[in-house]
Amino acid sequence: MDEFLAGIEQLAFVRGLKASFVAYPIVNALHIMSIGALLTSVMLMDFRIIGAFRSLPRAAFVALLRRTALGAFAGALVTGALLFSVRARGYAAMPIFLAKMTLILLAGVNFLVFMRRARGGDEPAGGAVTILAVLSLVLWTSVLFAGRFIGFLN
Amino acid sequence: MQSPFNGVWSVALTAAVMLAAGTAAYAHHGWSWTQDGFFELRGKITAIYIGNPHATLDVDAEGEAWRVEMAPPSRTIAAGFTEEVAKVGDEVTAIGNRSLDEQEKRMKAVRVIVGGKTYDVYPDRVPPA
Repeated sequence: MDEFLAGIEQLAFVRGLKASFVAYPIVNALHIMSIGALLTSVMLMDFRIIGAFRSLPRAAFVALLRRTALGAFAGALVTGALLFSVRARGYAAMPIFLAKMTLILLAGVNFLVFMRRARGGDEPAGGAVTILAVLSLVLWTSVLFAGRFIGFLN
Repeated sequence: MQSPFNGVWSVALTAAVMLAAGTAAYAHHGWSWTQDGFFELRGKITAIYIGNPHATLDVDAEGEAWRVEMAPPSRTIAAGFTEEVAKVGDEVTAIGNRSLDEQEKRMKAVRVIVGGKTYDVYPDRVPPA
């Protein structure tokens, strides 16, 4: 594992990113942009599922935000991997980084469970679905906070 | 009817969150987390990282493991301090400001001396000659 991570650090483009004056801040900004879009779409989606903004059609609103969230997550994944790559061994050894990855995994499992339940159409808000939405809010907010703390605990 | 205060509240909340986030970032990247007086650390280099988001040295000083933070890589490299000029095991003297929390073995260097050579990573902040 250590060798694999050291190998990532030695890749030519990773070495370039590590010493770059312009590229790294741009990747950093794009990561923040992706996270902003992800958190916003996830929160609006979860609030709608819990029962807010009732004037908006639930199925269409949730579908749009889910697409936005998945796109934003893809962006966060790519930019996050790049930020990780410059100091892969260092980040991989940080408990707060591992905590963030675990939280993302849990949020992903929560999403899959939700999708299984929601299959079959437009079930009304309430019960298990509400609990899953609240869980999603808590998990994604925790991911954000854990991520920010990576910068302060290394 | 929607309360006009909803808008005001959301703006206030957004501002508070941004302020909190900004303050935290400042504490890390600036100097507000360090003491005012200069601090000197001598020891052996145990790890060198010259890269984004900022360059660091790990230093063993009489058995204590210190983290020495330097400038962002562009600035550190411009000061002449690259991965070629120092290696693990070298004696190093770091001059700068240590953390306000003295339990924390962490400092931000303005000047690094390795192999008899002086590298001013923050030339505008070095102690007067």
